[in-house]
Amino acid sequence: MSEVSFAAIVASLHGRSGKTLLARALGDYFILSGQKPYLFDTDAVERGLQMLFPRDAIVIDLAIVRDQMLLFDTLAERSPQMRVVDVTHRSLTKFFELMRDTDFMSEARSRDVEPVIFYIPDRKIDSFQAGMILRDNFSDCPFVVVENAFLGEPKSNIRQDRAYRSLKAHQPRFVMPKLDNGVVDALEDCALSLSNFMRQPMSRDGEVPIPDGLSCDLRITLRAWVFKIFQEIHRVTAARHSWKGYGS
Amino acid sequence: MKPVVLLIGADKGGVGKTTIARTVLDYLAANGTPARAFDTEFPRGTLKRFHPNLTEVVDITTAADQMKVLDTLTTSDVKVSVVDVRAGALLSTLKTFTEVGFFDLVRTGEFNFMLFHVVGPSVASLEEIGDITPYAGGHQYFVVKNFINETSFFDWHPEIYRSYLEKVKDAVQLNIPKLNEMACEQVDLAGVPLSTFIANKDTRGENGDYSLVLRGYVRTWLNQISGEYDRIRLVDQLARQAIAA
Repeated sequence: MSEVSFAAIVASLHGRSGKTLLARALGDYFILSGQKPYLFDTDAVERGLQMLFPRDAIVIDLAIVRDQMLLFDTLAERSPQMRVVDVTHRSLTKFFELMRDTDFMSEARSRDVEPVIFYIPDRKIDSFQAGMILRDNFSDCPFVVVENAFLGEPKSNIRQDRAYRSLKAHQPRFVMPKLDNGVVDALEDCALSLSNFMRQPMSRDGEVPIPDGLSCDLRITLRAWVFKIFQEIHRVTAARHSWKGYGS
Repeated sequence: MKPVVLLIGADKGGVGKTTIARTVLDYLAANGTPARAFDTEFPRGTLKRFHPNLTEVVDITTAADQMKVLDTLTTSDVKVSVVDVRAGALLSTLKTFTEVGFFDLVRTGEFNFMLFHVVGPSVASLEEIGDITPYAGGHQYFVVKNFINETSFFDWHPEIYRSYLEKVKDAVQLNIPKLNEMACEQVDLAGVPLSTFIANKDTRGENGDYSLVLRGYVRTWLNQISGEYDRIRLVDQLARQAIAA
């Protein structure tokens, strides 16, 4: 049996939840692993992921049928490339309607591609409710709940809600490490490739010049953050055979 | 089972008769009801391209081909005959069926007859209902609103629509939803039955390499239509006629 490749679908109900950051980390992780992943940015307006991977990311407008075809036909293509989709909150419903209506899960699996949803709830109650509905409506698709430490915990009344408790207890989980302000600023530089950054030497004392202009302390902090998130990606993806729905 | 003729037609062109015929053939096959089809778009045919094994192209204006359709109703093993009537020929076909005594035989219970009258979104289409009424009375008459080309229908007053519909006692309305244009085009180009397209097979039964998205659109659309055919209990109507006989 040929090796199964992933289609990581990164989604959340609202904007500014960390989707593009996670999609970026996944993309760079696969690149650093020697892959040439397919990267899709479904935000045709802001194009956040495409700005980070200008040569590799494809912008998809889900309102256009040709773009829908490009996205889903490629996602289900039989090939060893990993795939990452940054699903803009503006097109969340459209994306998953298409996923359902095209019977994407069985088509992808028939070609040795395993879709996985990485869902990021934020602090609002409806994001937990939407996540629970999504998980239950796609019960045959592995569903990973992403905790973004940067967003903080929701208020106590929300923590009593059934949807919150359900997602809180859900496994598998992915924890995005906490960001400090310096790292946030560094990550806002679209020219900063995490995979290239991790390949670079730590200090300026070597023969190879370091072009990114970051201070030594910040480079250490950023490197630690990237290492943690890559480690988390490795941990979660290595355990995929134990996910509910995986390979069904 | 008593032989039954299901006539699918319209006097206005471009309303999607052949597409409707294709959905009927797919539905009957999926529900285990064998059917044969006659494509009156003589000489080249249109329906035949999609269902070559089931379909014969006939010139319904000639006696010889009228015999091919009607004389074989009792001799054929397949009891359901779907006739895709070419544009502009519905009224004349109904007149022909009257003249050759087919409807007399329906009245005496030897055969059964159903009419799918496909209407487009214009008033001209509605006026056809008035023309068809003398032939539709007493038979199972379905007004098929086909949204395949338009998303809106009869933008004028709906009471006018109802007044036309009320002219035919027991007329039943069927709504066929719009299919995405690109999916429509691709499924036509593929030249296979709708279910074959959805299954991603070509004319030889091999991998069709059709778009996953477009197949999904067709699948969803066909499921909606099957829901309509389920609602009117199309297969039961055909079978019930046999039981009633």
